[in-house]
Amino acid sequence: MDGIEWMGSAMRAARAQLDVATHNLANASTDGFRRSAATVALTPRGLSVGARETHEQGAVHRTGRTFDLALLGAGAFRVGEVTTRDGAFQRDKDGWIVDDRGRRLHGACGPLRVSEQATIAADGTVHDRGRILDRLPLPGGTRVLAGALETSTVNPIGETLAILTAQRAFETAEKTLSAIDATREKAANDVVRVQ
Amino acid sequence: MEAAASGMAAQQTQLEIVADNLANADVAGFKSSAATFADVRAGAIGLGTTSVGRHAVFAQGKLVRSGGPFDVAIDGPGFFVVERGAARAYTRNGEFSRDADGAVRDASGYALARVRIPADALAVRVERDGRVLIDTPQAKGREIARLRLASFAAPEALRPLGGTLFAATERSGAAHLFAPGAPDGPSIAFGMLERSNVSVVESMMQILGAQRAYEANAKGVQAADEMLRIANNLHRG
Repeated sequence: MDGIEWMGSAMRAARAQLDVATHNLANASTDGFRRSAATVALTPRGLSVGARETHEQGAVHRTGRTFDLALLGAGAFRVGEVTTRDGAFQRDKDGWIVDDRGRRLHGACGPLRVSEQATIAADGTVHDRGRILDRLPLPGGTRVLAGALETSTVNPIGETLAILTAQRAFETAEKTLSAIDATREKAANDVVRVQ
Repeated sequence: MEAAASGMAAQQTQLEIVADNLANADVAGFKSSAATFADVRAGAIGLGTTSVGRHAVFAQGKLVRSGGPFDVAIDGPGFFVVERGAARAYTRNGEFSRDADGAVRDASGYALARVRIPADALAVRVERDGRVLIDTPQAKGREIARLRLASFAAPEALRPLGGTLFAATERSGAAHLFAPGAPDGPSIAFGMLERSNVSVVESMMQILGAQRAYEANAKGVQAADEMLRIANNLHRG
């Protein structure tokens, strides 16, 4: 790796950091979203940027809908084949608890099918007509708040700062790259002038 | 850049919905809506957000005494059944008035199903259990009809018809008609109106949040654009 390649990788890294920040910002209103943190690693082949999900708790806001569920603590809801922390569910006409895309919420024993009177308790148990129907598969210590949603953990100010930082880092790398390039140009063309 | 642009589009959607809620904050029986978004993932670094859907929030609004001659409100879940010609709709707006032909209509011309007030009625009132009683010069408290409310298996899948009216859909299931006034069921409050369930303060906060997030996303687009410009100019020194 020479200087130009290093600076090129620094520019790519700044670009990737920008992508992480804009992805976070785009999801400032996505319920249950957890911001990603950019991770930069130094490798023999330049800088490599990755992203890992953070695990802060999002703020909880009340909605008043029975099947809006907010998780307080670790874990996630299982909908179909995937997991999510977005707890905006509703009951469809056949009694399944579904999200806005129609994917079914799973309890420990499979998809949940309930009556209109069903409630979900703080420990994740699903109560229906006075008996316990199922339980949401959540790690111990996690509580469920019904009638509320967990909001995104993205802080727009923090992400704006990350954008500006990435932009400046990109410029710095570019300036350095141009400087190295100019030096080489001199070395190639001016130091030894072939008569 | 696409991620930031998708964020701008999402905030735009959010603003439209909040504006719609706010515009109807004073409409009796209005139900607010909320948008749902989801993140788009591909590999470690995501690609922004996408709007997944919009659902009505059927939380109960406050009941207030209104004094209108035929104002009714539902205390609990359920909908009034209203008709205009062959079209049937469901609403929680109980701001009705008595028409010349005896029908009980709301502002958009939908009439309460199966209620017709005789011309000689002096006063009309509605009981908790939906019985419509009239006083005539001859008799007091004659029952002329009984209001029935509609409930749905999945009310959130109802199709909004604008304002406070909803139509049944495949996904909401057919309307199930029931009589109000059961001991633990919904009841009718006469002379009252249900206020909209929009919280003005919360909507204002949502607008501020959406505006800030929109601006921040715009910064992201700008920054990405600037980087591309610099990269384009690299070669010229």
